Amino acid sequence: MQAYLGIDLGSVSTNFLVLGPNSAVLAHHCLRTQGDPITAIKAGLTQLKKQLAPGVIICGAGSTGSGRHLAGVMIGADTVKNEITAHGIAAAHEIPAVQTVLEIGGQDSKIIILRQGMVTDFAMNTVCAAGTGSFLDRQAERLGLSIEHFGQLALESKNPVRIAGRCAVFAESDMIHKQQLGHSMEDISRGLCQALVRNYLNNVAKGKEILAPILFQGGVAANRGIKQAFEEALEQEVIVPKHHAVMGALGAALLAKQTVSRKKKSSFRGFEVSHWNFKVRTKHCNGCSNTCEVVKITAKGQILACWGDRCGRWSADPLVNRLNA
Amino acid sequence: MLVKIGIPRALLYYHYFPLWECFWGHLGLEVITSPPTDKSVLDRGVIAAAPETCLPVKVYYGHVLALAKAVDYLFVPRIISAQKGTYICPKFMGLPNMIKHSGYDLPPLISPTLDTNRGKKSWQRAHIQAAQGLGYNKKKALTAWRYANYRLRLYREKLQQKRTPLEFLNHDHSLPRSFTSPTILLLGHPYNLFDEFTNMNLIRQLYQYGYQIITPEMLSPVIIEREATQLPKHLFWSLGRTILGTAFHCLKNSPVVGVIHLTSFGCGPDSLVGELLERRVNKLSNLPFLLLTLDEHTGEGGLITRLEAFLDMIEWRRSS
Repeated sequence: MQAYLGIDLGSVSTNFLVLGPNSAVLAHHCLRTQGDPITAIKAGLTQLKKQLAPGVIICGAGSTGSGRHLAGVMIGADTVKNEITAHGIAAAHEIPAVQTVLEIGGQDSKIIILRQGMVTDFAMNTVCAAGTGSFLDRQAERLGLSIEHFGQLALESKNPVRIAGRCAVFAESDMIHKQQLGHSMEDISRGLCQALVRNYLNNVAKGKEILAPILFQGGVAANRGIKQAFEEALEQEVIVPKHHAVMGALGAALLAKQTVSRKKKSSFRGFEVSHWNFKVRTKHCNGCSNTCEVVKITAKGQILACWGDRCGRWSADPLVNRLNA
Repeated sequence: MLVKIGIPRALLYYHYFPLWECFWGHLGLEVITSPPTDKSVLDRGVIAAAPETCLPVKVYYGHVLALAKAVDYLFVPRIISAQKGTYICPKFMGLPNMIKHSGYDLPPLISPTLDTNRGKKSWQRAHIQAAQGLGYNKKKALTAWRYANYRLRLYREKLQQKRTPLEFLNHDHSLPRSFTSPTILLLGHPYNLFDEFTNMNLIRQLYQYGYQIITPEMLSPVIIEREATQLPKHLFWSLGRTILGTAFHCLKNSPVVGVIHLTSFGCGPDSLVGELLERRVNKLSNLPFLLLTLDEHTGEGGLITRLEAFLDMIEWRRSS
């Protein structure tokens, strides 16, 4: 059976998805990157292999996310795509009529506007991570709740408290204050969900025309409190797709399928890369006063890729160029 | 030994370097321009500058410090206006004061006040007075001014032949550009567009992705002014006015496939002009629009992700 692999190597989580014929999702897996993307990819591939039925052949692979280049080099991806395009493609695949995609991930959040199946506009959070998954993670932890439980709790609130969502630091102190006043955990949770949504709509979605159907994807979409808060604020239905947490990986797999159908041959290295010993070395290049931090990745005694230099002295390696082509 | 005057390679240097380098050079001073921005320039600037300033001003500080030990005088003009009825950003007006009181041991500043609102010949007068202050006679200074002005005019004419300051600054004619590839309208202040370090080689990257660009420098100021007067209210920020005028002209007359607005974090005028620009672009066209904000990050990740997604948007439309 022919299948395509997509990997979304994000700052907080690394997601894998295998797409079979007729767009069936044959396997998917999410794990925390925990600052060690190489281990995350190896572990993920091992897991995925176990889930797949024998006879499934990976005919192409794609990577996306902030670590897409690393992932791409490790697995020998056919396509390395930015996460905005990947999410847009996955959304349009899931619901062809989609016009708005709200995506909240670990450390970034974005809005993608589609019209007639084409991405026409997008925006990403800039310097502030106040409205993202890691912020929610941290606050849930502070309240002593698991992140899953936290969203559920918000649904039980009748009188949400108002929490300043403009800045993560102020939100936290505001929340502590509300706790000291004796507000219930439910009301605080819901207040926090509303604050996050308010912040997202004011900063990331500022000035964008949000039209239905609206898809909500990314890790945070699992949080039903946030979904509800979005629906209240937008006064419209917000759809959370089945594979909301792995939409980036789905997009990468779809793109890989497209690329391979064009170039006829895949450069995927196979699942055995999970046994390879990848070495990453950072060196400060002394070629000029920019002293770029150059990253060199090697495996099996071969340099797979270099990057991080501004001038191209190290990264102008044929292998990397082939990958980016 | 020649007297050395230092010109920081920052802010409006990209607009006026032929004028300033030729003026002081023609008078017989040794002109030393600071090296292109690099990590050490940026790092020093960020530490030295007042915390609430914008990135380009911080970079300016870095260039000033790069020159401090090497020159006898520092040329830090007080630019108020370059066109009647308009103003450059207030930070430019206070620049000599900011630099002077930065607490660093700096050579004396040469800071003529350049304000076209004080008369057509204000720039000329101020430059000549500055030269006189260094002991040059008026006649010689006037000759130098005329020559420098002529060089500036030549430079601008060349830019209007679809060239960028990069070609003149880096003596690098190997930029892989092509006049047949699709055109992206690249808007922004010259010090954001042409400082290749802070903008992470944006122009080069666009060339490599197979696009050519139009920047405000490539249009005649007459055209820009004509378009800018169509705004319902007089916009008195000259750089913002240039951006909008360029956009109006190109959206109507050039086959542009997308618009990028490059700005720096903390830019006051751009916070308003950028909003106006985005709305106008959406009204006049349905072209993809990308706002890129530069800050002190040296990681390219964020910029590349946005740029790639933007170019995907363009490709998508072109292929469908």
